[in-house]
Amino acid sequence: MKKTHIPKLDDFIGGGIPEGSSILFCAVPGVECEAFGYQILNGIIEDGHKGFIFTNVSEPNDIIYEFSQYGWNLEEYLEEEKAFFVDGSSNFIGVPPNGKYSINELSQIEGIVLKAIDDVSNGVGVINNLSTLIDYLEEDKIIEILDKWNKRAKANNTILVYIFTKWGYEQKLIDTIKNSVDSVVSLTSIEERVIIGQGFMVTSASWTRPQNNMVLFFVLQPGGVKIYIPKILVTGPYNAGKSSFVKSISKKSVSVERMALEKFPTTIAMDIGHVDHNGFVADIFGTPGQERFDLMLNVLSKEAVGAFIIVDSSAPQTFARAKEMINKTHAKAIPKIIVANKQDMPGALSPEQIREAMKLDKDIPIIPTTITENIGVEEALDALLKLLYGDTK
Amino acid sequence: MIPCIESGIPGFDELTRSDSGTGGIPENSSTLIYGPSKTGKSIFNYQFTYQGLSHEEQCLYITTDQSLKQLEGNMFDFQIPIEKYIADKTLYVIDTTSDISQGMQTKTETIVSSHINNPTDIMVKVGSGVKYICKNNQRFRSVLDSTTTLLAYNDSMMILRVLKAYLMRVNEAGGTPIITYTENSADSMIETMLKSMVDNIIKLDGKTLTVEAMKSIGKRSSKYQITKQGIIL
Repeated sequence: MKKTHIPKLDDFIGGGIPEGSSILFCAVPGVECEAFGYQILNGIIEDGHKGFIFTNVSEPNDIIYEFSQYGWNLEEYLEEEKAFFVDGSSNFIGVPPNGKYSINELSQIEGIVLKAIDDVSNGVGVINNLSTLIDYLEEDKIIEILDKWNKRAKANNTILVYIFTKWGYEQKLIDTIKNSVDSVVSLTSIEERVIIGQGFMVTSASWTRPQNNMVLFFVLQPGGVKIYIPKILVTGPYNAGKSSFVKSISKKSVSVERMALEKFPTTIAMDIGHVDHNGFVADIFGTPGQERFDLMLNVLSKEAVGAFIIVDSSAPQTFARAKEMINKTHAKAIPKIIVANKQDMPGALSPEQIREAMKLDKDIPIIPTTITENIGVEEALDALLKLLYGDTK
Repeated sequence: MIPCIESGIPGFDELTRSDSGTGGIPENSSTLIYGPSKTGKSIFNYQFTYQGLSHEEQCLYITTDQSLKQLEGNMFDFQIPIEKYIADKTLYVIDTTSDISQGMQTKTETIVSSHINNPTDIMVKVGSGVKYICKNNQRFRSVLDSTTTLLAYNDSMMILRVLKAYLMRVNEAGGTPIITYTENSADSMIETMLKSMVDNIIKLDGKTLTVEAMKSIGKRSSKYQITKQGIIL
């Protein structure tokens, strides 16, 4: 078993990758995926093993530079012969090749990579990029080659890491590729017009039953792949039920509040909670609803990936304020759910009536709830997770 | 009525004026400019870019066949100064030509490098570029000059997939993208597929500019000249 050195990933796959196994990083276009391969290679070499990089996307010098940006010294590994390149790029764009092996024509790729796998037994090989290979070779041929490489890797105890970008291929081809490796890690994006977050999730591992949690990550230079706990915002007008909502979805929560009119508590700074639901973890930040605290909205909403907008369904006069708060917290630009609270109150509007009154886009889910009775709370949470992560969960 | 954005070439906006009175490039649509080499395709892009920048619209510029330095020089030849927009970060450049291992001449938050045969990385940079631009403004322009180089260094089917992902990314974010292509540099099937991917098609042949396809207007054409002020219809 070898550690991947990607935070959280090792926990999800039972401690690491068994020697001789293959792992595919399968990315939506626009999501950073190369860093995963490079980080695994760097870590395994640091642990005292050998590794190679097959590249058909950048020249070795550019990759050495990339490594240095991450703070990893590939040049030293190359000098000490702990690492080497299979250069499948330079000859094709007309610059002098640089690597232990270089490829002049496509037909050589299969054999040269097999040699490279032999050279790093008990080590690691990174194939960057599999999608670029697919377009150059026949589809059937690529599956055949993958099988040969994986078999050889198994015999040599070499771990193979494939980097793959899911351009618009036929689903059948993607499935076949996924089935020909031992483990698949899906890299996806959280989008609202633009990519606002990136996540990874282990979708299969032949050696263990992987934990299928989604983890958000970003790539730092220097540093590499870092994970972060996503932040979810809870906002809405005064007395809509924000603090109760934060309390009901969180295992633990803290509220900075004081008695309003000496009758009921109102939030004067913020609510903080932590959600742990179906393997999804997030920090929850609740804003105050009163206008005199609006100066805090900007700070509290920074870097949130999703939002709950809590409204009092029986108080349509507060809907304009709710819309104002969506603007002030920049929640327009992130996935959001409208939580239509106080459905048990007389005169409460239905979700569709609220949609009309607030002039909300039909894509924004409105979930009827009675937070005090815990009705609809879980549905609201599920709805936001579905918006954030699609059907991958 | 289809809202249009000014192309930066007054004669072009006049040529494409529809019955409803608007002319230019339909906002949030995608455009292909093609024709033989040296017919002014890049110049069209320079004017299109500058028109946006000088009206506080940000621009994402992906250059695959001239380095940022060359781009600056070439634009300056047409009296288009872009240093200001590089400095104030309204122009976001993805440069796939400069040798990154030699160190980029300028590498900032908005001047990033990528690699001509690494579409995966180019799309990552496009994603973060679009995100950066959308922080300030929903309306922006995007130029990819040129697809010819991408096609020359990569498998063409892959590049078609990449272009599709690129156009979708920019359109979804609210931008208006233009891509260019040098006629006959790829086989005719690729050329046909390229044309089927965009909303508007403009051909430049050195003498005549022809709008072969554009929402709400029929085929139109006009003679043009390239002067120190750029393309004049």
